[in-house]
Amino acid sequence: MEAIKLEHVTKSFDDHKVLDDVTLDVPEGTAFCLLGRSGTGKSVTLKHIIGLLRPDSGKVLVGGKDVASLSGRELAEVRRSMGFLFQNSALFDSITVGENVAFPLRRHTDWSDSKIRDTARARLADVGLDEDYDKMPSELSGGMRKRAGLARAMALDPKILLVDEPSAGLDPITAREIDDLLVDLKKKGATIVVVTHNIPSARHIGDELAMLHDGRVVVRGTAEELDRSDDELVRAFMRSEGSG
Amino acid sequence: MIPAGLAIALIRETGPLTAGLLVAGRVGAGIGAEIGAMKVTEQIDALEAVAVDSFKFLAVTRILACIIAMPLLTAIIDFCGIFGGYVAESSISGMSANLYFHRAFSIVEFSDFIPATFKTAVFGLIIGTVASYLGFNTTQGTEGVGRTSTASVVLSSICIILINVVLVKLIFFVFPVRS
Repeated sequence: MEAIKLEHVTKSFDDHKVLDDVTLDVPEGTAFCLLGRSGTGKSVTLKHIIGLLRPDSGKVLVGGKDVASLSGRELAEVRRSMGFLFQNSALFDSITVGENVAFPLRRHTDWSDSKIRDTARARLADVGLDEDYDKMPSELSGGMRKRAGLARAMALDPKILLVDEPSAGLDPITAREIDDLLVDLKKKGATIVVVTHNIPSARHIGDELAMLHDGRVVVRGTAEELDRSDDELVRAFMRSEGSG
Repeated sequence: MIPAGLAIALIRETGPLTAGLLVAGRVGAGIGAEIGAMKVTEQIDALEAVAVDSFKFLAVTRILACIIAMPLLTAIIDFCGIFGGYVAESSISGMSANLYFHRAFSIVEFSDFIPATFKTAVFGLIIGTVASYLGFNTTQGTEGVGRTSTASVVLSSICIILINVVLVKLIFFVFPVRS
């Protein structure tokens, strides 16, 4: 069964069509990597899945529910089942790193303060930041902020994890650790959608890959299938070793 | 009559309007800039992504805080103004505190204080709503945050002055001036 399904999704900002009849589905418990050059609509696709953007036409189904038609509690319920790592981390800059991770737990659980703090610390440990619980986001490097954002996205043990460029700004070793963490989450049953330019990372994480170009899905398949694509752009992209 | 004139002017009009304009300048700008900065750095999207209603979490709380704080601040401004008048009067003419405050409150009644002070809750509503609205609609990065901050002050100040005219008329209608 598909955890996520996009049906003929079209989205424009002013006169610029960012998504043009995009149709995708992501089966439950798999990792799906969305590739493409900058500005081709990858992040916009993720924001449609979590309901931050609504399509001009088409449907975005998460667990069979059309996210675009939901509001209030129903939308909140769907969002509680998802975690989202933003491209620029989007940490709350007025609270500590630890409280950023604890924030979803404080809002959506009735756990004790100590249990929330322990869980937040454990999530931070997963991304190698357990020593940084009491630091402010402004004290972290870009890569550390990215990891803290990932820890926050994982805080509620989401069934679906949407990750926007997880390895951007990370050194190769940390990037590999984050990739391994995403693979572990997938093994535990989470559905993961990763937007990335990092082809080695996509090969490592993704069960399936798709490439967006000019707002359209130009190819979809396993990494090996994309390697053999007839499209020169796809083959060139797959040959690249982009780290961002 | 100076203490009485000062007290009635402060309590009925100067205090509430000064409080409104001060808070519009200080708090309105702050709310607009804070929410605006959260908007352009995707922190509001991040709130929504963790299933938190950003409007309730960021705007409603601030609007309520403004509504509650405004009458309290107005009362403090009224008190400080009247007390300042006493300090000035006593240093110039040597008037005693007893006489000053007796004269100051000789013509002031609760019907002067209550409506004028509590009308500032409406000012608080305006400041919180205008600044939050502009913050949520901030675009174009840090430059946009600056514009939001300025626009929050300007727009809420104008709205306060205009709505004050209406509220004064309404108060005079409900509590007619004693002849």
